[in-house]
Amino acid sequence: MSRAEPVFAAARVEKAFGTLRAVDGLSMAVEGGEIYGLVGPSGSGKTTLLRMLCGLTAPSGGEARLLGSAMPRERRKVEERFGYMPQERAVYRDLSVAENLLFFGQVYGMSRRRIAARTAELLAMMKLEDRRGQRADRLSGGEKQRLSLACTLVHEADALLLDEPTIGLDPALRAEFWDYFRDLSSRGRTLLVSTHYLHEADRCRRVGLMQRGRLVAEGTPAALRTLAGEHAGHPVGDMEDVFLVLTRSEGDAR
Amino acid sequence: MKLQRIAAITERVLRQLAHDRRVLAFMLLIPAAAMILFGYSFSGDIRDVKVAVIDEDRTDLTASLLDSLTADEALLVRVVPSGEDPERLLLEEGYQGVIRFPAKFTSLYYAHFAMGVATSAQGRIDLTLDESDPQIAAAIQKSLADALMDLGEGGPVDVQIQDLYGVEVRFIDSFAPAIMGLVVAMISTVLTLLSIVREKVDGTFARVWVSPVRRAEFILGYVLAFGLVALAQSLVVLGIGGLVFHIVINGSVFWAFLCVILFAVGSVGLGTLLSAVAQTESQAIVSFPLVMLPSVLLSGMMWPVQAIPAVLRPLSYLVPLTYSNRVLRAVMVKGLAPWQEPVGFAGVLAFVVLTIAAATLVLRQQSRRSD
Ligand SMILES: Nc1ncnc2c1ncn2[C@@H]1O[C@H](COP(=O)(O)OP(=O)(O)OP(=O)(O)O)[C@@H](O)[C@H]1O
Ligand SMILES: [Mg+2]
Repeated sequence: MSRAEPVFAAARVEKAFGTLRAVDGLSMAVEGGEIYGLVGPSGSGKTTLLRMLCGLTAPSGGEARLLGSAMPRERRKVEERFGYMPQERAVYRDLSVAENLLFFGQVYGMSRRRIAARTAELLAMMKLEDRRGQRADRLSGGEKQRLSLACTLVHEADALLLDEPTIGLDPALRAEFWDYFRDLSSRGRTLLVSTHYLHEADRCRRVGLMQRGRLVAEGTPAALRTLAGEHAGHPVGDMEDVFLVLTRSEGDAR
Repeated sequence: MKLQRIAAITERVLRQLAHDRRVLAFMLLIPAAAMILFGYSFSGDIRDVKVAVIDEDRTDLTASLLDSLTADEALLVRVVPSGEDPERLLLEEGYQGVIRFPAKFTSLYYAHFAMGVATSAQGRIDLTLDESDPQIAAAIQKSLADALMDLGEGGPVDVQIQDLYGVEVRFIDSFAPAIMGLVVAMISTVLTLLSIVREKVDGTFARVWVSPVRRAEFILGYVLAFGLVALAQSLVVLGIGGLVFHIVINGSVFWAFLCVILFAVGSVGLGTLLSAVAQTESQAIVSFPLVMLPSVLLSGMMWPVQAIPAVLRPLSYLVPLTYSNRVLRAVMVKGLAPWQEPVGFAGVLAFVVLTIAAATLVLRQQSRRSD
């Protein structure tokens, strides 16, 4: 990968389900080491975009690239280098916490020993040490969510696509998750994180605001505040208000 | 293709099974219950049993016996040249019984009448039977007895029965192979189906799909896991068969297990195929009788395929268990090698190849579809 190559890139990417354009000619690029926040109302196409970027579904137009490879065509080239956390808490409900991690480690070719070390690390981080042997379907919602994130992180990928990783978590835990994301990014990982919690956008380096399959605004949180202030004619401080202003003005433009 | 990833899938599936104690219990209880509950004879009208007649006497009497046999709907009679070896006819030509009228049968038969009851002279008929399906063997004996009754005089005829395998085969002996096939097919198909549907519902399928796991590795992982399960279940069936019913196994247990495992592989393929149709767990569960009923009713498990009405009989050749029954009975009761029952063996192999190939294709399509 050349230095200039973005980690995640979409070029006029489209996805149509029948007549519905879930993603509608969207272009974006996320550079190495960035945390990019994808925000937008429910049904705006965040999940669909992430699924195209990791090769789970083929775009109906345009191009989705991950670490320089066109997805899903060239996904074999990069399959070991990215991790995807689906929006559903995708873990094996009839396996224990440790067994879930063991499986996802093995699938990425890790040795049992390395998996064991990594499991200890992740369980400590996710505060799941005393849940180690518990079946996933007996975990609380938040615990399951943490296990789901741990499963995505087990193979230490460079590029991470996280679909609403903090949904359903209490505020303290959400803050911890974000501290951890910042830590990952400071160690050179690239994160594309979708979220419903607009306040979380402040923790991202850049934010893309999606509406009806399009990117209606993009930039650093500060830049978005300025933009919203211009639209509203008065300073807008709160992120929730920033997005209300920006989505409304986009609606007017149509 | 990487062995480690296949092993990872296998280990995961086995762990999942091990965690669910009830599923585990069912897996072992079902073969036991099936063996005990179905251990009774079911019988329909048997038709078209292939029987060879060797007429070394060629008299009016044997001709009229032959007519009676031919008229009997239970039998499909073919006259073969004298000098044919009955055992060869049974093992290689697919006949299920050979009736031989020895030379002098007629003269001995009438001699008895001429000399009165004081003589020990009486006609003798040699009957060689394939006893691997006792119901069929009994049907042939009954038809022969009926034909002798038709002669009217009802003179004593000594029917010398030779069992092909030297031992008397009971219904339960030929039932064990069918139970093994049925249970293995049922469990492998249903658990594969449920497991894959559950992966889709829960979203773990998406995780596996973005990982380096290949389609073939995924399927092979399941195949290995359920191959092992099939082995355990076969042991239960044979264990109960041996301890409770004292079944007799004439053939090689090795070949039997090999065939059962092959059949399990095909069943995993079938389960994967069905997972493309069933999108939810309830759909998966209700599709279950659809697969099982034909197997139980049409495979020759409860009653011989010959007892199935001619209209439905072609259907029984679409049921995989029909072939598994043939090859497993050949191996376990007749003591043959699998390829000596070519139709059954080829049927099982075709089942494996077709379902696994189709399953690989189906997994591909699912991955291309959005969900
Ligand atoms: N497989 C599919 N078939 C048909 N329509 C689909 C499919 N997947 C998504 N959609 C539709 O595409 C649109 C975008 O869905 P998507 O899941 O990407 O939204 P989202 O932004 O992730 O929403 P949320 O925040 O609620 O998760 C929705 O209207 C959805 O109904
Ligand atoms: Mg979503």
